[in-house]
Amino acid sequence: MRPSCFLVCILLCCCEAQAGEPASARLDDAQRAFFTAYCTDCHGADTQEGKLRLDNISLAIETVEQADRWQKILNQLNSGEMPPEDATQPEPARKTEFLDALSRTLALARKIIGDQGGRIALRRLNQREYRNTLRDLLGVEVDTRDLPSDSGTGTFDTVGASLYMSSDQIEQYLALGRSALDEYFTRAAAHEHKTFKAREEAEIVGNRRMNNLYKDTKAAHDNYVRWTAAVDEAAKRSENVATAERLRKQTEKPRPSSGVPYATPMHFYLDWDQIAGAPSPTEFGFQDAQKAFFDETQYRNHFVYYDDYQKLPARETGAWLLFYQAYRETYVSAGEKWPTGRYTLRMRVAANDAANRERRFVEIGQRGDDPSDFSVLGACQVTGTLAEPQTIEFPVEVRSSAKREFAVREKRPNSRKAEIRSYHDELEKTGRGPVPAIWIDWFEIEGPAKAPIAAAVSLVAESHDAAAARDVIQRFATRAFRGRAPSADYLDRLVALFEARRGHGDSFDEAIKEPLGVVLASPSFLYLLEPSPGDEHRRLDSLELASRLAYFLWSSPPDDELLALARSGELQQTEVLATQVDRMIADERSWQFVRGFTHQWLGMDRLDFFQFDFKLHRGFDDSTKAAAREEVFQTVACLLRDDLSLRSLLKSDFVIVNSLLATYYGLDGVRGDAFRKVSLPADSPRGGLLGMAAILAMGSNGQCTSPVERGAWVLRKLLNDPPPPAPPNVPQLARLEGKLLDVRERLRAHQEQPQCANCHRKIDPIGFGLENFDAAGRWRTEDMYQLKGGAKKTWTIDAAATFHKGPAFKNYFDLRDIVASKSDAFARGFTEALVEYALGRPCGFIDEELVADVLSQARRQDFAMRSFIQALVASDTFQSK
Amino acid sequence: MAIKQFNRRHFLRATGTVVALPALESIGFRRFASAATLTAARPKRAVFLGFGWGVTEETWMPDKKVSGSAYELPAGLAPLERHKADFTVVQGLTNKFANEAHWGSTFWLTGANRYAEPGQSFHNSVSADQIVAERLGSDTRFASIQLSCPDGVANGHGPGLSLAWDGRGKPLAGMENPVAAYHRMFSDDTVPLADRQALLAEKRSVLDAVLVDARRVQRDLNRTDTDKLDEYFQSVRDIETRLAKDEQWLAVPKPKTSFSEPKPGLAGRDEIALMYDLIVAALQTDATRVATYRQPVGSLLGSLGLKIAAHDMTHYTTGERLEASQQRDVAQSELLAGLLDKLKATKEPDGSSLLDHTVVAYGSNIRTVHYLDNCPMLFAGRGAGLKLGQHVVLAHHTPLCNAWLTMLHGLGIEAERHGDSTGVVKELQG
Repeated sequence: MRPSCFLVCILLCCCEAQAGEPASARLDDAQRAFFTAYCTDCHGADTQEGKLRLDNISLAIETVEQADRWQKILNQLNSGEMPPEDATQPEPARKTEFLDALSRTLALARKIIGDQGGRIALRRLNQREYRNTLRDLLGVEVDTRDLPSDSGTGTFDTVGASLYMSSDQIEQYLALGRSALDEYFTRAAAHEHKTFKAREEAEIVGNRRMNNLYKDTKAAHDNYVRWTAAVDEAAKRSENVATAERLRKQTEKPRPSSGVPYATPMHFYLDWDQIAGAPSPTEFGFQDAQKAFFDETQYRNHFVYYDDYQKLPARETGAWLLFYQAYRETYVSAGEKWPTGRYTLRMRVAANDAANRERRFVEIGQRGDDPSDFSVLGACQVTGTLAEPQTIEFPVEVRSSAKREFAVREKRPNSRKAEIRSYHDELEKTGRGPVPAIWIDWFEIEGPAKAPIAAAVSLVAESHDAAAARDVIQRFATRAFRGRAPSADYLDRLVALFEARRGHGDSFDEAIKEPLGVVLASPSFLYLLEPSPGDEHRRLDSLELASRLAYFLWSSPPDDELLALARSGELQQTEVLATQVDRMIADERSWQFVRGFTHQWLGMDRLDFFQFDFKLHRGFDDSTKAAAREEVFQTVACLLRDDLSLRSLLKSDFVIVNSLLATYYGLDGVRGDAFRKVSLPADSPRGGLLGMAAILAMGSNGQCTSPVERGAWVLRKLLNDPPPPAPPNVPQLARLEGKLLDVRERLRAHQEQPQCANCHRKIDPIGFGLENFDAAGRWRTEDMYQLKGGAKKTWTIDAAATFHKGPAFKNYFDLRDIVASKSDAFARGFTEALVEYALGRPCGFIDEELVADVLSQARRQDFAMRSFIQALVASDTFQSK
Repeated sequence: MAIKQFNRRHFLRATGTVVALPALESIGFRRFASAATLTAARPKRAVFLGFGWGVTEETWMPDKKVSGSAYELPAGLAPLERHKADFTVVQGLTNKFANEAHWGSTFWLTGANRYAEPGQSFHNSVSADQIVAERLGSDTRFASIQLSCPDGVANGHGPGLSLAWDGRGKPLAGMENPVAAYHRMFSDDTVPLADRQALLAEKRSVLDAVLVDARRVQRDLNRTDTDKLDEYFQSVRDIETRLAKDEQWLAVPKPKTSFSEPKPGLAGRDEIALMYDLIVAALQTDATRVATYRQPVGSLLGSLGLKIAAHDMTHYTTGERLEASQQRDVAQSELLAGLLDKLKATKEPDGSSLLDHTVVAYGSNIRTVHYLDNCPMLFAGRGAGLKLGQHVVLAHHTPLCNAWLTMLHGLGIEAERHGDSTGVVKELQG
């Protein structure tokens, strides 16, 4: 719901003079000529086919009915149904302009008609906020995945109007609240802290496994050789010669398509029983001939791999993690009875001296139900060597509802197929399997970490009677309601619930959970309340302000300090408020804002819409994708923390990366898994969102780039000039597939029809400018298209193009400079997103002054990231309902 | 309220399944009197299956020139050949207010105008399944069940939590996890009866307590916020209705089904097949009579070994994308054929099949690519007395809601209109 460019133009022209002018959506008078020329013969004063008259239709779109009528007209034009085939057709250029004007005006009209007038709808906590709030209150984690999704309406998950309470949600809240309380009391009851530890020695598990494979494979092969020799011997006998000859011929029969035989010489022995006197494979230890065949195939495919393993060093004290088969992962488990909490995984590892830098990473994760399905928790760089191994620590959370087994393996694409393919590629190239890159000595888990329950409120009772229960409930409810005391009537009911439980023989702790759980499903907890009897705006009181601020910057409830300042009223002082904003940004909890806001603002859910094709993009595995996603968050966090300019997101001379991503980008000198600021060489294409792998990968389909996705994203997110939503019923383009065309030739078809051209003339050129990045965000200079039959076309990428009615650019670097020069538009889009996220309602026409104010204050500080937030928080709008 | 429910419970016990009788006397039912004599004793059921992104028009839509029963099934529908006499394909249906090229399900069962409410950017109205549930749902443990998939947007469904929207146009949550759905419908409570009664009483006290807080909150709200908080009250009312139902069913063990707890972690094709099995089991055991399922598309493609993103597939052009789109059509038709097999094989106590009493609506608001007119629509089963074995070609832009209205009438629900309907589809009436 960003205003269209049309609106932006109006506003940019007049924002200095009269910012308050009410917006209106009206087609230019000049467009009426389009009707006169092509429509009014049938839809004019004399005839009104379909009861539609266009010669005198109002060009202003102000009501739902008018918008619906214009939508119908737009649809008819888009679908090509009007003008009818036998009537005069408009010139493509003219039709393009008309469609452009109408679709934009209509989008603006929809926005005006749907404008909430700055009303903030009562909103409930979204999933993230609910989870954070429970963590804050009780110091425990709950799994909220089964709550109804908050996304999908195209707005932020803070927008109250789009957050519903569906019919069994209250029961889910009751159940989740209850399980959080159970965990709290379990932890509180565990008086003495005990730590547990389990260690897996790799040489015991791994080498035993590999030794057995080596021995068994070799023994089976020896048996196979002896058995087949005996079969051959029998086959030589005169009575068998003809049969053997026939059977051998059979295996040599070529396939008509390729000429390659159907079978291998090995298949001959499957028919051993047709040869008189040939010994049975069972005499050689095989279950049957099929098993002998299988074992020998295993030998031929893998023995060299197992044999090589036996020659690797340092096997007395550790084992090598294989890239393929057998010993991929080492596991360690937290015991079933161990308490939940934070544990540390620890491993002593080294990289093979010969391993290249891409392979010097391990992944920590958990195995899914399907053994090939490995959910990656994180990746770590291995800097240790056999001479000097390194110990890596990795924190994990052991939860009651999740698996307790953890694994470590070499980083790789998350696909069995990819693994098999890598192995056979290597085998074909070198005659051996991939040389193991990672050596591991041991792998252990220890914990839980000793930590006092980080609960905001204590549930310890003085005594065990009803009065004590009332006291605990009141304290808890007041905190859960973010500082508001519950009513006496409500407390009475809750105490009655407690007493009923006690009456059934429950212990105090058990009985008190019932009313406390009810608190966690009550409206005063679930909704961010800013009551106001009328529709007129009013100033928030200080407790409301504390909540709004805390949920904006932390997606969490206000802490003690905020509540104290709210109670004393000081929070409403400008200076105090500004200091609090700085404190809150410095706090760890601001990550909630960084991730929650950025993910939605930049539309990053697309990164999970498809799988990357490992054949084409082997380097872009799950760990790399996670690091690429993290880069975006880390960059925003860095701008916020160091108060750098928002312009850095358009172009910068640094990136925020870890060793994994630096390796992916080909940057040297970055060691370790922490993200840090790295300076870029002057000619680097990285630096800024346009050069980030995550952003570029979103503009693809996992196989090849999508210049359309990329172009539309740049218009939407960077240039604040969103194309109208994809229109329905536009005729599908002429079929081009089956022809060897490059990307530009293919997309040129968009210019053939006005229905496509009116948007694609703006979208496609930007996408062309980014073609030097492949689907996984790697730099390239060539691209290729291959037909299914095999015909192939390769071309050198030409990233030169021209903005629609705008400047030309020669290459990506030029494009980036042009985009970077439009930081005003970018800052406006960012501000509007921030307003929507912070206020929990669409940024509407009423906000024009607010947006202009925030922008002008931020501009004075060179668009420093924090200046936007400070200006917004200081505004009347933020402090009002 | 509790007292009213109490009386109703006694009434239901006293009259048993005969409470369905008034429905049988509706105009809609009399029209199919011949069929009625055969099936009158068995309850009617309705199943709605929405597949989000549209179909491959060229190989899914039958030739428009051949209507009636002599039409041929194109490749995309070919797996349904053995059921050809038991379903009808309808062409020409459109939701006239639909403008969102990526929303295949949001308005599919409602026909609403997204922009109908000034001051709001999104509006919806009640979905056809909920109208049916209101009538058919009163005698079963669950008035309706909603099955769904995550990521409605990526799967071409658009906003919503399932196919279903309640009487106020709010989304109804769907069960996305088949294992959880299984337990909800079929796992027996091991808690003894007396304890469950106590638990029900306690749940009522819990609701009373949250209502005290809700009423206090409500006192100071303006009209818009009151509307918003009304969702909470409605949610509480829904629980109360369910509790009343639980009470009604307290002594009745959950139905036994022939299949055991499903394996977790199924995705795509297997997941859809499993959800279909759950639907059959739910209907067979009369756990519910109304089911909707918002089917996954992305994971279906994945399970067919197709790596393409669901949206990209819909922009099919000759080559890989077209093939993917066609494979998806065929897989979906195979799954539907499997569902119909099971509905046929499941016998009712009177020897008729479940399919004789069930209507299955299968389709999307998106035809193909980004076209929203001539929505793909297939009705199967005799539950709504629709004329089967037909290819019905209607005038272009016939309201899709006319088909829903026809179905409602066929189920004995005398609605005057649904969504933007202008009347029933005579060609569909048997």
